[in-house]
Amino acid sequence: MPWTDNSDDGKPGQKPGPWGAPPPGGAGGDNEPPPPPRRPSGGPRRPPPPINTDEIAAILRRWRLWIEDRFGGAGGPAAPQLVGLIAAALVVVWLLSGIYFVQPAEQGVVTTFGAYSRETDPGLHWRFVPFERVQKVQVASLQRVDIGGSGDNEVPAESLMLTGDENIVDLTFTVQYRINDAAKFLFRVADSGDPTIRSVAESAIREVVGKTNLDDVLTNGRGKLQDQTEALMQQILDKYGAGVTVVEVQVRSANPPKDVIQDFQNVASASQYADSQVNVADAYKNRVVNEAKGNAAQIVQEAQAYRERVVHTADGDASRFNQIYEQYRRAPAVTRERLYLETMERVLAKSNKVIVDTHGATAPIILPSDAFRPRTAAPPPPTPDVSQSPPPPVIAQPQTQLPTPGSPSTGGAQ
Amino acid sequence: MNRPALIAAGVVLFIIALIAANTFYVVDQTHEAIVLRFGQPIRVVNTPGANQAGLHLKQPFLENTVLFDKRIQLLDTNSEAEVLASDQRRLLVDAFLRYRISDPLQYYEALHDDATAQDRLDRMATSSLREVLGTATSTDIISGRRDELMAQARAEVTAQAKASRLGIDVIDLRIKRADLPAANEAAIFRRMQTNRQQEAERIKAIGKQHALEITAEADKEVQVTLATAQEEAESTRGEGDAKRAVIFAQSFGRDPKFAAFYRSMQAYEASLGQGDTTMVLSPDSDFFKYFKKGPAG
Repeated sequence: MPWTDNSDDGKPGQKPGPWGAPPPGGAGGDNEPPPPPRRPSGGPRRPPPPINTDEIAAILRRWRLWIEDRFGGAGGPAAPQLVGLIAAALVVVWLLSGIYFVQPAEQGVVTTFGAYSRETDPGLHWRFVPFERVQKVQVASLQRVDIGGSGDNEVPAESLMLTGDENIVDLTFTVQYRINDAAKFLFRVADSGDPTIRSVAESAIREVVGKTNLDDVLTNGRGKLQDQTEALMQQILDKYGAGVTVVEVQVRSANPPKDVIQDFQNVASASQYADSQVNVADAYKNRVVNEAKGNAAQIVQEAQAYRERVVHTADGDASRFNQIYEQYRRAPAVTRERLYLETMERVLAKSNKVIVDTHGATAPIILPSDAFRPRTAAPPPPTPDVSQSPPPPVIAQPQTQLPTPGSPSTGGAQ
Repeated sequence: MNRPALIAAGVVLFIIALIAANTFYVVDQTHEAIVLRFGQPIRVVNTPGANQAGLHLKQPFLENTVLFDKRIQLLDTNSEAEVLASDQRRLLVDAFLRYRISDPLQYYEALHDDATAQDRLDRMATSSLREVLGTATSTDIISGRRDELMAQARAEVTAQAKASRLGIDVIDLRIKRADLPAANEAAIFRRMQTNRQQEAERIKAIGKQHALEITAEADKEVQVTLATAQEEAESTRGEGDAKRAVIFAQSFGRDPKFAAFYRSMQAYEASLGQGDTTMVLSPDSDFFKYFKKGPAG
């Protein structure tokens, strides 16, 4: 009602309201006293209509006299026209005071003597001043209520709530609502704005959180939580006929309570620790398995090399034998003898030799110890591979140049 | 006119205004009025259902009016009433009540004013909540059957209000908060902490398990890989040896006697021709045949 009172809202008839100050012309011919009135008390007294032919000067004089009369207390004639003028001015003021604006986002609700009479849309309007009252309601804009405190101002009593698995969650949220029916909003429910929304929201969210598990509230159950709370709030508000639409319930934060938040963080770091352990193991696996594959390849390749070498060596030896054998077939005795002698020659050339004729010897023969000293002091430089393969000049085969060691041949002979 | 006449007019006007003020009364859209004559209710204006808001007349001075709000009222119950659940756990319950004056006459006669009404309703609501919630376990109150229990308590209060003829319609009774007292809250925090610690240990252990599984699998794979390679290698070697045997058998088999001689020669050379051998020979050996007997031998 703040906008009602430019004039006062008192009882009708006590003061010059719209009733008390009719337009000057309307008062003409009333039962009122003669032209020279004094003390127009400015109030309900109605001055007689002006019936004169005075000049402007006279009016001005009377005007002055009237003022003198008012302030000086001396008697004098007043100007009835002037009183009329004042009355007209009052009427204009009254008319203007009835003008009101309804802003674009608002809806005006007009009551006459307290009774609902009409709603007015945004724009310029007029009301009948002391009897009609306008209440403006924000219908287009969203109103918001923060629960659990806003910003740094925390209200734990509102934000701590029990979850379905009997844990406690620290949850703050915001409700946005819009007034969809201004008349219902004003006349149906007391405290229909924030207090109602607040109590309904607190009750609804606790009911919903009470059915939800802590992990769901903290992680992926939020959307559902918001939707359910919104629906429940709307249902309750519709039951009251509050004329309000819940536009959105938005969970601002959902955290474990402060006392346990450290332990929740520890769980997060534990899973990171676990991940890192797995990563280390994966790295180990990659390294070791690939190394093993390399080693395996090496082993296989070595074996293949062995196979090739052995086969080729054998081929070589066989070929050499075959060729010697060809010679041998042509002259067996000579070749045998020659081979024997050549071999013995090479063997004995490099050995210490003690030739003992044992015929007729009866006592043990004692050899000097240096006869057993190996002849390593003077190994003939060009002989190392000769020692391992028969010398070329004897048979004159190109194959004798093969760097084949004697040992595999030993195995192959068996 | 003179001064006394003016005064008289003023007095008359004042009296008229006084009478008018006592004759007219305004009933707001949100209110209802009871008209009393000498304290006795005569009639009700703008009752729920009837739309009689506006300017009304009454007999001046004889009658006066009492106004009541006709909107749905909000009453927060005595905050944090302690309720004992059937499992002997205490809960702090904070509820709110929504009611409306349905029969202003009854309301006026039974309660007289709003403060009394709210006090009465508060006690009714608290006792109904105690009674209804006392039959349920704390788990039911917190989660499982909360709406059902609220509906029961609401029905209880509605019935009581009706039976007491208070002229009040209970629209809604809702539990706003049902929380555990501070001591239990601390116990819950402890449980949550240990629960989280347990979870952290579990996650770590699972991580360790996975890591060990991976390394063990890797070790196994290494062994299998190497063993497979060995297998292949040995078989390859055997293949080579077999081939060699075949080759030698083919070529030496043509004359085993000569082959034995030939191989012996090779073996002598390989094993004796290293310069580290001392040979004690008899001049009777074949090698010295000519050495001993001369060229005629």
